[in-house]
Amino acid sequence: MMMRLLKVDMLKMKRKGMWFLTILGPVGVIALQMVNYGVRKEYLLEQSNDYWGYYLKNISAFTPLAIVLGIVILTSFMASIENETNAWKQLVALPISKMSVYLSKFTALSIMLFLSSCLLMIFTLGFGLFLDFNQEIPFLEVSQYSFFPFFAALPVLALQLWIATVSKNQGIPITVGVVGVIFAYSAFTLPDWMIWKWPSLMNEWDDPTINVWLGLGVGSLLYIIGMFDFKRRDVK
Amino acid sequence: MEYIIQTNNLSKKFGKELAVNGVDIQIPKGEIYGFLGPNGAGKSTTIRILLGLMKPTFGNIAIFGKDLKSERINILKKVGSLVENPSYYPHLTAKENLEAIRKIVGVPKTRIDEVLKTVRLQDAANKKVKGFSLGMKQRLGIASALLNKPELLILDEPTNGLDPSGIIEIRELIKSLPEKYGMTILISSHLLSEIDQIATTVGIITKGKMIFQDSIEELRMFAQQHIKLKVSQHERAWRALLANGMKAELEDGHILLSDQTDQHVAEAVQLLVQQGISIYRVEEDKKSLEDIFLQMTKEELAG
Ligand SMILES: Nc1ncnc2c1ncn2[C@@H]1O[C@H](COP(=O)(O)OP(=O)(O)OP(=O)(O)O)[C@@H](O)[C@H]1O
Ligand SMILES: [Mg+2]
Repeated sequence: MMMRLLKVDMLKMKRKGMWFLTILGPVGVIALQMVNYGVRKEYLLEQSNDYWGYYLKNISAFTPLAIVLGIVILTSFMASIENETNAWKQLVALPISKMSVYLSKFTALSIMLFLSSCLLMIFTLGFGLFLDFNQEIPFLEVSQYSFFPFFAALPVLALQLWIATVSKNQGIPITVGVVGVIFAYSAFTLPDWMIWKWPSLMNEWDDPTINVWLGLGVGSLLYIIGMFDFKRRDVK
Repeated sequence: MEYIIQTNNLSKKFGKELAVNGVDIQIPKGEIYGFLGPNGAGKSTTIRILLGLMKPTFGNIAIFGKDLKSERINILKKVGSLVENPSYYPHLTAKENLEAIRKIVGVPKTRIDEVLKTVRLQDAANKKVKGFSLGMKQRLGIASALLNKPELLILDEPTNGLDPSGIIEIRELIKSLPEKYGMTILISSHLLSEIDQIATTVGIITKGKMIFQDSIEELRMFAQQHIKLKVSQHERAWRALLANGMKAELEDGHILLSDQTDQHVAEAVQLLVQQGISIYRVEEDKKSLEDIFLQMTKEELAG
């Protein structure tokens, strides 16, 4: 049943431009570095002897922003598919559990974000090779900087999906989303407990894996709360 | 009797207001049940509860003899529904919209063409629903409801937004379903004329309460006939009739005779002529079902 529901959600996403956004995110992040390195490569190379490391730092300054912005836009698109003509009442009256409906939406969004992360890694490597640093490629760091923000951002995804599916007024998820994007942008000033800081992989202990575990744990928790709230509510 | 839908003390509160108040619905198999009530009566709310979209505040529901709370998914496999305004995905074509449902209900792909043909949308099958007229969207909604060959079809105001020929067409379609496929149908409307032409059983709801539930024939029995006389001096005419032991009522300056045999009418007319009263009109006054409906719902409001 889950597979079928997932296919249905993919069908409904047709012509919504959601796949385009999935690709646009990582392209945008790398394009910024193309401009950055295109304009002042010499200067940037002078900043550190670890060329790859410095390059990854530059990229990771924008990844959290892109991922949180992407989550806000994609969840809002996802919810709008059912909200637009209140198709929830048609969908939930079909012989499926409300929990699987919710799970399918969450899975579809996760797949897109994961794909974005994969693309980010490929583009990071691609442009890095093009820059010809002549140093050993730090594959581990590249994949960490590409995938860790995704896991660390799961709580934001769970929260946005929850708010977007249960709000009658779509102004609410958008407002929460915009505030979240602003938080993600000013991550370094936020306290460690705020979920919008986590995709930046920064924390007091300088250990990005903490953000990953927190993301998975709190993300699952928020997902479960959202799913049960969705199940509990009447479809109007 | 085998009931397809049976509810017991079904109630739904929104805040403090009881939108559905102790409703007992009984729908026998193979019937077209007309669910009638003015705007805001609680029809859509009841239908939402029957489909498991809303949880009732009190009461229980059995559909196909199974408890809705514990067997919702198994029940819904055999139900097709259309609630209020049709829902659709505007950026998808009619076919894609149906495909999104077909994948879930798991019927063969050929069903899509069949239902599109049934509601006569086959020419628009590959057009985006965004550009459809309201009537076409309504047809698509009905097609979606028919997709899984349901044993129970629940339609909330399905002819909303259709033009007269569309209404007739959909009505004929709905009428043919119980015979052809053994379906049981629940159809709501705020128009009695609509229900009158389609239903075999009727439930009337107003302000959340069921005030009538029986066969359409039983409802029609309420439509008592009178002979209506328009005369000069109606007060005097009425007294003269009563004085001669004839049953008559005075209403809005007309005299109503409830005994309508030819002989009785002839006697009454003769008497009035003898009394020197001019008779302008003698006509049959059949109360329309619409009047009965209005009267029933008014009585409920007054009570
Ligand atoms: N989600 C809701 N929240 C609060 N009140 C509601 C809600 N849905 C319906 N109501 C109220 O319940 C009552 C019954 O509404 P319902 O939609 O069931 O009526 P209806 O018989 O379908 O009317 P109509 O012919 O206009 O479709 C109305 O007074 C309405 O205001
Ligand atoms: Mg209604």
